[in-house]
Amino acid sequence: MAANNNGNGNGSKQIGSVMVVGAGIAGIQASMDLAESGFKVHLIEQSPSIGGAMTQLDKTFPTNDCSMCIVSPKLVEASRHTNIELHTYSEVQEISGSAGRFSVRIREKARSVDAEKCTGCGTCVATCPVRQVVRVQERFPLVENEITRQTDQIIASCGASRESLIMILQETTAAFNYLPEDALRTISARLEIPFSEVYGTASFYKGFSLEPKGKHIVQVCLGTACHVRGAPLVLEELERLLGIPDGKTTDDGLFTLETVNCLGACALGPIVVVDGEYHGNMTMGKVAKVVDTYAKKD
Amino acid sequence: MKLNSAKELADYRVSLADDGGPGKSQIIISTDATCCILQGSKQVAESFRAELEKRGLADQVALRLTGCLGFCEIEPMVILKDRDVLYQKVKPEDVPEIIDQTLLAGAPIERLLYKDPQSKTRFASPAALPFYQKQNRLILGMNDLIEPISIEDYIRAGGYSSLARALSEYEPEAVIAEVETSGLRGRGGGGFPTARKWTSGRKAESEDGIRYVICNADEGDPGAYMDRSVLEGNPHIVIEGMIIGAYAVGSTQGYVYVRAEYPLAVAHLNVALKQAEEYGLLGERILGSGHSFRIKVVKGAGAFVCGESTALMASIEGRVGRPRAKYVHTVEKGLHDRPSVLNNVETWANVTRIFAMGAAEYRKIGTEGSPGTKIFSLVGKINNTGLVEVPMGITLKEIIFDIGGGIPLNRKFKAVQTGGPSGGCIPDSLLDLPVDYDELTKVGSMMGSGGMIVMDEDTCMVDVARYFTQFLKGESCGKCVPCREGVKRMSEILERICAGEGHLEDLDILEEMGEYLKDSALCALGSTAANPVLTTLKYFRHEYESHISEHYCPSGVCKKLFRFEIDPEACTGCMACAKKCPVEAITGERKAPHRIDQEKCIKCGECYKACRFDAIRKARVPVAVG
Repeated sequence: MAANNNGNGNGSKQIGSVMVVGAGIAGIQASMDLAESGFKVHLIEQSPSIGGAMTQLDKTFPTNDCSMCIVSPKLVEASRHTNIELHTYSEVQEISGSAGRFSVRIREKARSVDAEKCTGCGTCVATCPVRQVVRVQERFPLVENEITRQTDQIIASCGASRESLIMILQETTAAFNYLPEDALRTISARLEIPFSEVYGTASFYKGFSLEPKGKHIVQVCLGTACHVRGAPLVLEELERLLGIPDGKTTDDGLFTLETVNCLGACALGPIVVVDGEYHGNMTMGKVAKVVDTYAKKD
Repeated sequence: MKLNSAKELADYRVSLADDGGPGKSQIIISTDATCCILQGSKQVAESFRAELEKRGLADQVALRLTGCLGFCEIEPMVILKDRDVLYQKVKPEDVPEIIDQTLLAGAPIERLLYKDPQSKTRFASPAALPFYQKQNRLILGMNDLIEPISIEDYIRAGGYSSLARALSEYEPEAVIAEVETSGLRGRGGGGFPTARKWTSGRKAESEDGIRYVICNADEGDPGAYMDRSVLEGNPHIVIEGMIIGAYAVGSTQGYVYVRAEYPLAVAHLNVALKQAEEYGLLGERILGSGHSFRIKVVKGAGAFVCGESTALMASIEGRVGRPRAKYVHTVEKGLHDRPSVLNNVETWANVTRIFAMGAAEYRKIGTEGSPGTKIFSLVGKINNTGLVEVPMGITLKEIIFDIGGGIPLNRKFKAVQTGGPSGGCIPDSLLDLPVDYDELTKVGSMMGSGGMIVMDEDTCMVDVARYFTQFLKGESCGKCVPCREGVKRMSEILERICAGEGHLEDLDILEEMGEYLKDSALCALGSTAANPVLTTLKYFRHEYESHISEHYCPSGVCKKLFRFEIDPEACTGCMACAKKCPVEAITGERKAPHRIDQEKCIKCGECYKACRFDAIRKARVPVAVG
């Protein structure tokens, strides 16, 4: 905060100004509090409009209050407040100086619209003959390649509907042994689901990986029965032998180490599965032998 | 072949009865469940086939390859039906001997007979096994009679007669009334009365008249695999229950949401659905009635929370499986905002049984508040690992010691964990507790889907609480703060205690956070997440205190809080431990006491297990003076 209070209690005159970066709900509230206490505030926002993610939400947790009802009065107030200067569609380029005396260089991007006069009615977006002049949503050009072609086939066989999303992701994983970005982008485009949501779904479920996996997949069951029978020791030994933590792949791309919650073969615990082959009653001593047999196969 | 009426089905059943050939002797081998396959039952079956072929006996002996028979511990097992003999842990090379001696000559082979670990007596007849004595295998019992992917077997064993009865003799409302009479409660863990759920589903308004019936086969509880075994061993019993349920509720579309980790269950289910459609038991106008119904299989993608109803439905819709607040219940607005009736695999199987035996008869099994049977997977430190189906109201002691055969290596029983990550640990002082929904809830645990994990004196209860909390931390969907942050902090505290860095105040914080979680989390995953911690704190507080104040893990699990020592008096210098040590930390001459290099030791316990003279002990780590 580039200001100081002289601290004598009655001299409440504030000097200096404050920069707030990011005009989401937190940035707006911080700016308004600062502006109310007498500071000049520069509110910097990267996108053309303020409000951030909260304006895209329907409800807030845990009270289920309407999100726009909370945020929209603040948007208006922030833009009207005499102590707040909005810098939208701008980015911080450089900060120099030290606490108490900062210099900031801001780049305001060209938008070819007079911000003073624009009311944000949206008519220009609707009538613009050339798409994407006004940045509404970022789109990535998808260049056709082997991955997109295969993904297209998978989508065709599963059906291009929302309900098929998880099945498509499963089939794609089966085809590539992970989910390549190009595949996710193809799915997003064909199913007309925002990329963020496809990515969100892919990263939510444990069955999907966004990184390529090794040639041999080593799974250690960490179900309760295996746990009390010593599975953590087996996992530890595998981590030591392969030199990788759970969830990672060895540098030579030979082994990926994973844990699973329960394979339902509790009579044989602890269990290690390599490439779908089960090895029961594992102990720290037996692990090395199992890994060796697979390493030698190559 | 399409069956157009209940009568055609009955006639078809009669025509099938001859096919089995009453003169044939039967050999039963379970080869169609994940756990028996792992233990090599397929090879044994193959060996039988080849051997019978070689001797020209293939026509006289029927080889029945079934799903799970329940007693996983002694797989691969072989039952010779006519000789009334059960052999345990059979190897392919034993097969010729079995055929010669037992099948042809009728003499039992002593070494292959089951030996009771407690009394050391051997048993020949499967019915005489203590493991099966106190069970009432209402659902699992059918597994022995059929090959899982043979609809003919299922029909021959009386299958689809429940459906025929329900469709021809009952109005939909009467079906619900019959279920009400049976007193059936949801077997997924919550124990909600099934008839009440169906009534709400039937009455709920649907704009386009579409209602869904869903089977929850997302069995995520670690240590529970009864749903998998039912789907693998007898998929038709679940399908039949669902068709009856759909008829009662007025639904035409069903879903089965099944874990992708169960490939065999998915495969069997798909085959069974196809068969049912070919026979006209699924599809348009089932058995010539006005009822039409179809079932789709949806595979999960590895998220524990998807066992929760709203998350499961979100996942079927192709979205991220996050629960929502249930101001409006899913029976009113569930999948695609339409009324949806969701029941567990075992519940659907029970529906089939109720219509097979009659609700009044069914009600006689179990207790007043919880009629029927429940399947438990009895696992962990127990002699007879397996799936047991018992009438409700049986005591924990009977399950663990009579059916389960007690604890291996004569160790002392410490606790039994029920209800998966949402359940709790029950100490030995409560072993006389009758098992039903209400009694388990009273002691702070729950029925859950039916995992029963037995723990002995070598299991550290703090570590168990840490294990479950860590599991739930990873599986929390992250939507609500109490669960996302609360479980994470609890897990951090428990990690600290297990590392010997805890404080006594931590225990109060854990209890306080547990209560908050109960009250404020959005779904059942969060609100029950503290149960393992709260119950272990309640019944095993001294273990927590020992970890914190004495820096000692009495069970020898938490690695920083104990060490292995060799008692020089007891050590005979046999070198058995030194050979087992993976890091060569044990040194010593033959016939002279060995030493453990504490710097090198990784505390894997291999030496502890290897020693036959009890010379290796778990001891306190000496506290450095100064």
